[in-house]
Amino acid sequence: MSNADDIRWVTQVALLGDKNAFDKLATKYQSPIRRFFLNLTVGDGPLSDDLAQETFIKAYLNITAFKGLSGFSTWLYRIAYNVYYDSVRAQKHYEDIDEQIIDSQHQTLNAFSAEKMDIYKALKLLRKEEQTAVLLFYMEDKSHNEIARIMNCPLGTVKTYILKGNEKLTVYLTKEGYGNEYNRQHAENIFQ
Amino acid sequence: METNITDNMLKTFFSESKQEIANDGFTQRLMRELPEQADRGWIVWVFAAIGMAISIYLGITSGMIEYIMVIIKQIPVYYLLGGIFCLPLVGTAGFFLSQNKNYQII
Repeated sequence: MSNADDIRWVTQVALLGDKNAFDKLATKYQSPIRRFFLNLTVGDGPLSDDLAQETFIKAYLNITAFKGLSGFSTWLYRIAYNVYYDSVRAQKHYEDIDEQIIDSQHQTLNAFSAEKMDIYKALKLLRKEEQTAVLLFYMEDKSHNEIARIMNCPLGTVKTYILKGNEKLTVYLTKEGYGNEYNRQHAENIFQ
Repeated sequence: METNITDNMLKTFFSESKQEIANDGFTQRLMRELPEQADRGWIVWVFAAIGMAISIYLGITSGMIEYIMVIIKQIPVYYLLGGIFCLPLVGTAGFFLSQNKNYQII
């Protein structure tokens, strides 16, 4: 499914209020948007689903504001980013929730793998803006320009967020022994 | 060089943690929560009617309709009947193809 499909479905929703077309858009983008929230909320599934739902509802109500200057995906992430920061500002989830409770929930309810736990621990080391930029860059494969549009900040700032996040994550992962494993695999690949 | 290695290490780390999230009824719940908006399907009919009116007007003023009628009258009646009876088949095939792009006749 290409960007041309996105434009066709967006046009059908905007002109005709066609819910079936919006269903196709939601089906296509539910996984990346929910994954984005799941990582931002450090594994809180119900909260990330609520935020994803709010994002899609806002997209549906404001779809006529989509001008097609950037991809629909970028526009949707921009809404997701705003929804997330509105939520953080309004409820201050992370200050109110005991980290111990979150960790135990992850281990019992969600049965996350060790790598999943690692990524959440690593992400917690970053500032919110760094988390967002790093996740969009490494996890969602967005370019620097797209991230700048999503976060509505200058390109240089985005690069700084990613660089700082990169440094912190590298230190953490190296300390956890991940770098050694990667370097070993990397060396094996080179010599094969 | 070192930057490339750490960059690749992070890409590997994140790609290993990347997961596709199953729908599990998320979009169905979402569609139920979507607020109702005025049905704008009438726009299609308005544009269709305007287009039809313009076509008929141009057809009449340019003599195109008269010319087409003359051609049709020259076609043997069995050919016309055959063409008319084929229309439902062509329409059905077109419908299936438009609904499901993977549909194969054979």
